[in-house]
Amino acid sequence: MRKLYIPASSRTPMIDFDFGKNHLKISGESYPEDVTEFYNPLFSALDAYLAELGPGKSCRFDFELIYINSSSAKAVMMLMDKLDVAASNSANVDIYWFYDAEDDTMQELGEEFGEDLENAKFHLEKMHG
Amino acid sequence: MLAHELFEVRSMLRKQGIIFAYSGYVTEAVLSGVGDAIKQKLLFDDANTKTARSVFAVFVEQMQNMIRYSAETATAGAASSSPNGIRYGVLTIGQENGDYVINAGNLVQLPDVDRLRAKLSRIRNMNKEDLRALYKEQLRGDPGEGSKGAGLGFMEIARRASKPIDFDFVDVDDEHAFFTLKASV
Repeated sequence: MRKLYIPASSRTPMIDFDFGKNHLKISGESYPEDVTEFYNPLFSALDAYLAELGPGKSCRFDFELIYINSSSAKAVMMLMDKLDVAASNSANVDIYWFYDAEDDTMQELGEEFGEDLENAKFHLEKMHG
Repeated sequence: MLAHELFEVRSMLRKQGIIFAYSGYVTEAVLSGVGDAIKQKLLFDDANTKTARSVFAVFVEQMQNMIRYSAETATAGAASSSPNGIRYGVLTIGQENGDYVINAGNLVQLPDVDRLRAKLSRIRNMNKEDLRALYKEQLRGDPGEGSKGAGLGFMEIARRASKPIDFDFVDVDDEHAFFTLKASV
């Protein structure tokens, strides 16, 4: 699979996993009716992609989340864990967490996730415009 | 007479500063619909971004708690614990001394009261730093017995709230108590 694209819905974020370009992105709001149903296919796609990402290869993952509910927070942590494991296997993984400057809650959440990463490089930045 | 009775209900809610009230069976579709109306109202109120998102975040957690855990259910003949049943809850959003207040109430089984009370007391008495630590611990931990989510809902509510959360229980019959959780943003 070279690309996984899912448009945003009112309760789920846009997913743009461009595996060909090694640039993955999740953006918007996340409070799905069923967190497992939404995130499980993403976990599978990410697992398959990361398994192929050999040592020395680079990948970038952007989180541009406006709001996530508590069940989604657990799913986001699982995405981060998978990326961190890939980085521990000598891939170069950069994780960007973009937050709305007007809502420091999401900034704090980003900091909390970032603290737990041991191998991936974490970047905390304000959203553009 | 007909208009008078319902107008009385509306007046009573208004007197308490309530701008939204829902009492009935709650589903994810109700959450979506009421949620959209709340987002629009907050936009018209010119609430700042952080306040608007926090009110919405508390609303979502409160609604999902009722959808998943209310002990008052309606099912198609099956046992009351049927996963396909719908559950009953009450939710209000109002304004009180400049804060938005989100109250949610639903029946719980009497044997669950002590456990809920202990969990909520602990969260209520925590400062922001302790809450942050507990949240992180729970994020990595087991959701706990009987949980249908990440087990983070009450903590998320407390973290989004601008004042300590408040809660209460009142016995309604031999098996149930009515549980209310209040959060101010």
